[in-house]
Amino acid sequence: MKKPCCALLFLLFTLVSSAQKGIYPISAIKDSLKENANAIVRLDQMDIRIASQRSMNIKTQRVVSVFNEKGLSDIDAYQHYDKTTTIKSIEAIVYDSFGNEIKKIKRKDFRDESAVSGSTLFSDNRIVYLDYTPVSYPFTIVYNSETETSNTAFIPQWYFLGGYNLSVEKCVLNVNFPADLGFKKKEFQFSVFNIKKTVDTDTKLSYDAVNILAQKSEDYSPSSRDLFPRVMMGLEKFHLEGVDGTATTWEAFGKWYGDKILTGTTILPEETKVKIKALVGDEKDPVKKAKIIYDYVQKKSRYVNIAIGIGGWKPMLSSDVDRLGYGDCKALSNYTKALLQVVDVPSYNTILYGDRYKSNIQSDFVSMQGNHMILAVPNGDDYIWLECTSQDDPFGYQGTFTDDRDVLVVKPEGGVIVRTKVYEDKGNTQTDKGSYSIDENGNFSGHISIISEGSQYSSKSRNEILQPTEKETHYKEYLSNINNLKLGKITFANDKQNIRFTEDVQVSAMNYGTISANKMIFLVNAFNQSKSNVKRIRNRKNPFQIQRGYLDTDEIEISLPVGFSIEFLPSNFELKGKFGEYKTEIIKNENNKLTYKRSMFLNKGKYSNKEYDEYRLFMEQISRNDNAKIILTRN
Amino acid sequence: MILRTIIISIVLIFTSIKSNAQNYELGKVTIEQLQEKVNPKDTTAPAAILFKKAKTFFTYDIKSGFTASHVYEYKIKIYKKEGLSWADQKVRFYIGYENIKEDYLEFSNAITYNLENGKIVKTKLDGQGTFKNNVNKYWKEKAITLPNVKAGSVIEFKYILKSENLVKFPDFKCQYEIPVNYFEYKTEIPEFYIYKPILIGGLPLELDSKLVNGSQSYDNEHHQMETFRYQQINAFYSGKDIPALTNEPYVNNVENYKGSIKHELERVRMPEKPVKDYSLTWEGVATTIFKDEDFGKELNERNFLLEDLKSLLSNVEDKDEKINIIFKFVQNKMNWNDENGYYTDKGVIKAYKDQTGNVAEINFILINMLRFAGINANPVLVSTIENGIPVYPTRTGFNYVIAAIEKDGKQILLDASHKFTSPDILPLNVLNWKGRLIKSDGISEEINLEPKTPSREISNLVVKMDSQGKIEGKVRIQKTDYDAYRFRIENANKNQEDYLEKLEQNLGDLKILNYIVENKKTNLANPVMETFAFETENQSEIIGNKIFVNPMLFFARTKNPFNQDKRQMPVYFGYPTQEKFNLNLEIPEGYTVESLPTPLKIASEDKKIVYLFNISYEGNKVQIISLTEINDSYFSADQYNGLKEIFQKIIVSQSQKIVLKKV
Repeated sequence: MKKPCCALLFLLFTLVSSAQKGIYPISAIKDSLKENANAIVRLDQMDIRIASQRSMNIKTQRVVSVFNEKGLSDIDAYQHYDKTTTIKSIEAIVYDSFGNEIKKIKRKDFRDESAVSGSTLFSDNRIVYLDYTPVSYPFTIVYNSETETSNTAFIPQWYFLGGYNLSVEKCVLNVNFPADLGFKKKEFQFSVFNIKKTVDTDTKLSYDAVNILAQKSEDYSPSSRDLFPRVMMGLEKFHLEGVDGTATTWEAFGKWYGDKILTGTTILPEETKVKIKALVGDEKDPVKKAKIIYDYVQKKSRYVNIAIGIGGWKPMLSSDVDRLGYGDCKALSNYTKALLQVVDVPSYNTILYGDRYKSNIQSDFVSMQGNHMILAVPNGDDYIWLECTSQDDPFGYQGTFTDDRDVLVVKPEGGVIVRTKVYEDKGNTQTDKGSYSIDENGNFSGHISIISEGSQYSSKSRNEILQPTEKETHYKEYLSNINNLKLGKITFANDKQNIRFTEDVQVSAMNYGTISANKMIFLVNAFNQSKSNVKRIRNRKNPFQIQRGYLDTDEIEISLPVGFSIEFLPSNFELKGKFGEYKTEIIKNENNKLTYKRSMFLNKGKYSNKEYDEYRLFMEQISRNDNAKIILTRN
Repeated sequence: MILRTIIISIVLIFTSIKSNAQNYELGKVTIEQLQEKVNPKDTTAPAAILFKKAKTFFTYDIKSGFTASHVYEYKIKIYKKEGLSWADQKVRFYIGYENIKEDYLEFSNAITYNLENGKIVKTKLDGQGTFKNNVNKYWKEKAITLPNVKAGSVIEFKYILKSENLVKFPDFKCQYEIPVNYFEYKTEIPEFYIYKPILIGGLPLELDSKLVNGSQSYDNEHHQMETFRYQQINAFYSGKDIPALTNEPYVNNVENYKGSIKHELERVRMPEKPVKDYSLTWEGVATTIFKDEDFGKELNERNFLLEDLKSLLSNVEDKDEKINIIFKFVQNKMNWNDENGYYTDKGVIKAYKDQTGNVAEINFILINMLRFAGINANPVLVSTIENGIPVYPTRTGFNYVIAAIEKDGKQILLDASHKFTSPDILPLNVLNWKGRLIKSDGISEEINLEPKTPSREISNLVVKMDSQGKIEGKVRIQKTDYDAYRFRIENANKNQEDYLEKLEQNLGDLKILNYIVENKKTNLANPVMETFAFETENQSEIIGNKIFVNPMLFFARTKNPFNQDKRQMPVYFGYPTQEKFNLNLEIPEGYTVESLPTPLKIASEDKKIVYLFNISYEGNKVQIISLTEINDSYFSADQYNGLKEIFQKIIVSQSQKIVLKKV
């Protein structure tokens, strides 16, 4: 008799409480937060408790109201774990739009999978994630998790705003730490957003932010890392998988990394040493020696991503790389270093962010940063940078993956921050020389030689390794303004010494010239149409940037069909402005020939949101002029 | 005469296999193989499979009965750096069984051969290059990465997969993105199991099979060795010089065309037990599926629907209206959990309560509700595009189920698991080949899933041009059937401003005003209608005292989607289409028409493709009509060039200009 009574009471109680007030009802959300938002973070709270150098506990509480399918990815109910990080608890509760509970999801109902992605062969990292099929929108998920780790080298970076089309009602970060571990922080982009620092003592740090409106993603914007507010945190005394570390200065940090992590990883078998010495022979010049060895590594090894141990920070032993012939970026850089040691050429492991989008190691914030490793070979006051994962890159070429950014060079005496090579806009060239002729039926035949240097080398030189069908697709796309294109002979010359890539392409096409009545119309600029598509953006908010400039020059000889005379030639055109310069010119030659000259120079730069429309118009004028046509009349 | 040729060819095959036999063994490599710079049959190949050998055989033990073992041996030559990825091998195996043991997989004999200073150097794989990975609760994975591999290396490895799952063997693939010089597949199957081998890809292949004696020795319950004897069928498949096959645009599923050998269990006839049929004909397949609890029984659960159905259909008499109401109700209420399948998982009752379910659960709820309302609805088994085209009756040939109702002698197909479908408009990946309709008595019939009615896109424009070449006007675009469905799945949930920015860009950077869209998320059976006003300066050019105008404006086709020189696979469009364009252009005052593009009418011989372009003018009005019809979903590879040519003619036709001159 007792039990039902209790249940009834309980039922009554819950009924009353939910009738009074649901959990995070949708109706309580301000209208301004709903604008442009696929999801709204009602509360995002992280409590980080660092008990000691070797113990960190993180509690996450995240409440997200999802308005549509696209907002599902903002729930972020997942947690990585590995040998040193354990998940103490993880759960979620789903509420309908009124705040009534629909479903409770326990740990066993979360999915638990290996976190290996496509290019990684193996990783001991795993992921537990929520896989929830919503029954109606909007709904709200309350997610809670707690993890514990002995690794204090990586304190998660805190983002007050996690992405585009997402708004935040309330966001709280609390960090507790012992006073003697040298806790430090760096704040980014706080000024634009209303972030309050509520506590900042020698054992506690807290932030609080409310009502951050949803942002729209806009082309050519800087990365959200450089737009949204965030805090980086770190300890001067930290722990990484069994090793204590210090990071007071880059010098000390570099020394620690060299002494504790890298030491003992560059031992090579005697046999290999003998072989390398023989290979280098009498060569005395350290740069030439390095070149021989870089070439040896490129031919011998391949890149395989295997993420095991020390958060993937300790390289595989050089003797293993020597035997197995593969490794990841750290293993291959370190192996190259070991080989260079054999012939007395110094070189240094270099930690950085490898990405086409240039991002720096934060030089004023000493901590574990970066996602990639290359090798620095000193050359006078400068360095030669070696990308050891590539089997194709020319010696010392950085392309667009590691150029122009602050990196950490780990020298035996300690670490230093250095800027990698800057490829100047005027050196990023594409030089086109070619000719084409058009017959009386409008059929086209011609050839083009394209020479690419500087940062343009990196994208073009990949064409050399394309498979036949990929090659066909590439050139048909590249010259897509020529319809019905037939590719003839294609040859490449890859001058790695001077970092210059030459493509020689023969093409033909039927009906290039459109015949209307007794006229023939055709596009003058057949080979190098400006491809940048700058779309109209209503009320652009973000600044925009052009990361790398370039200079294209074309000189094309055009043979006109017999029996036609020129009715119209596009006039010469010149455009100069802060974004760059553009110029085209058509010269009439004898015997029915024309020379078309074009040059296009684009500056790299950072510009305000206001200047975007100006840039769009600049590019539009160029694309319009690239579309200029010649009209011929049949005699 | 005929007899003689047959004999000769058999002898030839026999000897050729025999003389080559020693080349197809692991552990051996020749200097010539290591020196070879390119594949003689395909000089561009980054790597080639020198041979792939496999064997499937059965073992027996008293506890678990028969187990199948599949042993694979590969020898691969790496010619170029781009082929190095073949040195990384990953194989997944299933562990998610309910009643039988997990599959077991083990790599062995992994070796790299290189030529160094004229000598063969052998490097064996050790523990450092072997990885085990628990992918999720259904799959595990083992991976190896071979040591010391560079351009020029020959690599070899072996793996064994043991499985108690005898219903289906892993597919034996014999065609890849790289050439295969030689393959062979041996199966030794005890008489108790009858499998149907299925050959895909139409590759030339040698086949030999014979009946031999087989036996198994095992420990009985008293730990005594016992042997039992039976007959078994030994089959041997082999082939050589299989060309590489890589994906092409407009292909439904490249796996439909890649060479492979599949085996699926048809029947089990154990001694002293009744014969158990698995699949033999599509009827047999349907019956087997129908008899399963998670199918047939689930289709009889209906009482839980009573209340909702009552309130839905109160005062509704009309049959069509009932169908529409029930379909919309299920489509709105239920949410697909991204799982396919024709069996229910948690069951329709639980799925209904949760409002989420797999495809079977949602469409069974639909069927049960329709049946409950007195409408004759039946399930239709389907294979999605990803699942490929079943070449022979098999249960795994299907992976999806939809519903059908009969109306005026025709079957109307329904799928309530997706959000923007409507009667006879199914998710695009369901438009694959044929389905199988199963009636409530278990009797089945074939259903064609290829849409027959063309989906239409009709654009009507009335525009006016000024003497600066600026064009202002109004458009109405109507999209029906699958064109409407495609528009909805791509855009219905998009922010309108984002959609318009993209549309403006796609239509040659024009400016869109007063955009209205009808039937975007509602009235799904009706066409989507977009109307807007626009301004553009990009569709005309003033050259001298003339204006050149693109007659199709921003709707002109400028790129040929068919630009390949050689085509290997058929072209797949999904559904037939019809594109109609109507333009009424008012030319600026003070100008007159100097010349117009030539009208054109072309059609392929079988009328599968029709194009029509007509243009005329009267006074200051130019009238343009164009029509493009693609009246089939499939075109064979040898029709590719014809297709390419017709599209080229269309592009040439649409690139001609209207020339206006000053009066």
